[in-house]
Amino acid sequence: MKPTSASSPSSQVPLTSRLGNFIDRTFQYWTIAPLIITLLFLVAYPSVQLLRMSVSEVDIVKGKTVWEFVGLKHLETALQDPVVPVALKNTLIFVIAVVLIETALSLLISILVSRSKHLVGLYRTVMLIPLLIPPIAIGTMWRLMYDYNYGFINQVLDLIGIAGPTWTANPKLALPSIILVDLWHWTSFMFLIILAGLESLPLELNEAARVDGASEDQIFRFITLPLLRPTLITAVMLRTIFAFKVFDEIFLLTGGGPGTATEVVSLYIYKVFSGQFRLGYASFLALGLALIISVFVIFYRRLGQRAHA
Amino acid sequence: MNLHPIQKVKHGFLLPLSLIVVLTFLLTACGPAATTEPPAPTQVVTEEPPATQAPVVTEAPVATEEAKPLPPITILINESPWLPGFEALVNKYVAETGNQVNLNRTPFNGMLEKSRNAVQASESEFDILTLNEQWYMQFYGDGLVTPIKEIDPTFELDPQVIEYEWATRWDAELGYSSQNGELYGLPINGNIMLFFYRKDLFEEKGLAAPQTWADVEAAAQALKTDEMAGYVVRANPPNWEFQAFLASYGGNVIKLEEQTGEWEVTLNSPEALQALTTWLKLGRDYGPANYADNGQAEMIALMASGKVPQMVLVGASAPDFDNPEKSIVIGNVAAVPVPGSEVGKNATMSGIWVMGVPHNLPAERKEAALAFLKWSLTKDAQMFYAQSGAIPVRQDVYEEMANDPKLGWWMKAMADSTSYIHAQPRLTETPQIIEVLDRRLKQALINEITPEEALSEGAKEIFKILSDAGYKVKPLSE
Repeated sequence: MKPTSASSPSSQVPLTSRLGNFIDRTFQYWTIAPLIITLLFLVAYPSVQLLRMSVSEVDIVKGKTVWEFVGLKHLETALQDPVVPVALKNTLIFVIAVVLIETALSLLISILVSRSKHLVGLYRTVMLIPLLIPPIAIGTMWRLMYDYNYGFINQVLDLIGIAGPTWTANPKLALPSIILVDLWHWTSFMFLIILAGLESLPLELNEAARVDGASEDQIFRFITLPLLRPTLITAVMLRTIFAFKVFDEIFLLTGGGPGTATEVVSLYIYKVFSGQFRLGYASFLALGLALIISVFVIFYRRLGQRAHA
Repeated sequence: MNLHPIQKVKHGFLLPLSLIVVLTFLLTACGPAATTEPPAPTQVVTEEPPATQAPVVTEAPVATEEAKPLPPITILINESPWLPGFEALVNKYVAETGNQVNLNRTPFNGMLEKSRNAVQASESEFDILTLNEQWYMQFYGDGLVTPIKEIDPTFELDPQVIEYEWATRWDAELGYSSQNGELYGLPINGNIMLFFYRKDLFEEKGLAAPQTWADVEAAAQALKTDEMAGYVVRANPPNWEFQAFLASYGGNVIKLEEQTGEWEVTLNSPEALQALTTWLKLGRDYGPANYADNGQAEMIALMASGKVPQMVLVGASAPDFDNPEKSIVIGNVAAVPVPGSEVGKNATMSGIWVMGVPHNLPAERKEAALAFLKWSLTKDAQMFYAQSGAIPVRQDVYEEMANDPKLGWWMKAMADSTSYIHAQPRLTETPQIIEVLDRRLKQALINEITPEEALSEGAKEIFKILSDAGYKVKPLSE
């Protein structure tokens, strides 16, 4: 009679104990499994779908989604699309303008607030207000303020004898008008991050520098600013990402016009996707925008690593 | 791995907990989406009926034994100035038939998304979709709404119902709305353009109602002052009004040769240049300082506040000029068909809404939807609809309403305009074509490019759109 399997050495260990050993050995993987599954579900799957759509023509026929692989056709379309270069140019102008101005402004305000001895809480609250207002309300509010006939701004200008311009209908003024709204909306975001950074800096260094005879200007240039650099880089990186995705303000204020004066990539993607229902081409443009943002993120991260080093 | 008993307990606790969290998340994400639609009411009236409307019976009658009530239907309807009129119509239907109707009221910007989502589901949540002239073609062309004769093979459209250059039909072979196409949708809102003018100011200056663009310019010259512009063009978006100018000069954006099925892009024609030059001249020379920034709402406000004496506007805006809360020109505004390049060469553009029955519905729901549509197109229902402040779709109703003491001043213009109705290009690629038109026209309006460049560049882009989509297109003329 052959020995039964129960008599082999491995099978002498009870099944529950073997399972316990297996769990013990692989425990670290099981603990991160939920995170990996969630990430796969939320990030990887949509990204793969976007990639797949960007090389396909997607249509809905009789309620069924029909996919057709088209390779790099959408790249060719984008290269011939007269709106794409204009939208890219406007987006870059917008991003550079708002990031630079908002950084400078919020740095200045943060320093003033951090040095202030009175009403600091009030300043913070007031600065926070624009950030709390929904973008849709901001767009509507500024549209009414910019209105040529009935707008608050032109009425004030009229009181002092100045004929107000057509803020959103003049191609030279439209983009600056949008940038102004964005400054009003987002400077507080930068302010909050930079103020938090400023307040976390050690005061001992400043005091030591003062004892050594350093002026306030020297303290700012050689102590505060270098120490604040990682915070500034993080703030600028986040703001750059948000600025590339600008949509609501432009959608409500100008719709990308007049002509193409305020057409930006995210708004154009919306028009291509929602208005024209060109899912494949819109996906390609969205992927392109994501890649451009990624380049900036990598650049800022390198800068951040250098700052930390 | 040797673990402390407490750590083992933690292991034993953490692992199932993590799995439960992930499973809960996945189940939540995969579960049915919550609808934003309020609980289905049995009666649709939620607002005070319009002043002009006859009193509505608020109690639903008990259905007779012979007439079996149809299943309740849900209509996706846009929130627009004519919604109260439509609600009154639905209310009347409920009162007369005992059938239940739910309305999903949605702002214009959400209509297309909701319609698309409905036709992609295994079964549509809506029994009737309200489709705009700009996008109905995708729904007809891709078979996302049901051909009417598939629901009722005996259905015949009453010849008094205006078809707005066949916005009701789709010719699958041509990929175009044509007279020979199959019936897919039924009109529910007959928006077309009218020409509105201040009859008091015109009489003061001894001017007759404009019949041509030259008349319009003469009136603009005579009436323009520091406080009042002479004319205002619709710049947001510009394509619709421009197309009326274009059609009045005998031009088109694209043209189909039905025998050969060949398309021709004619946006760069001499007629188009004449039309654009006239439109730009009226807009720039006689418009307000912000002439490049006015959409429909701004134009209505300009007319209602007495700042512009004449303009082309959608017929549905007429009630605004009689509204004491909005208008200081009550009784002083008149309406006529949109002028032409010459007397009799008028053209008005349609901007209508049609109703379609989604393809993904069981037969009894499709029949219930069609029953409502059939009823709503009867003359009695349309008369009631017009009196309730909506825009009817029957010629006999317009003719009868032309004598109405309150609404007759613009209903007559609607009746007189039917023979001048033109349609924008009606292909599945129309949204792309419209995007090109809007962009190029606006660039011309703000002097970014010349009118010639706007038309020739626009024509090239439209030619590419059609060619890429696989249409047979004649080479572009230089």
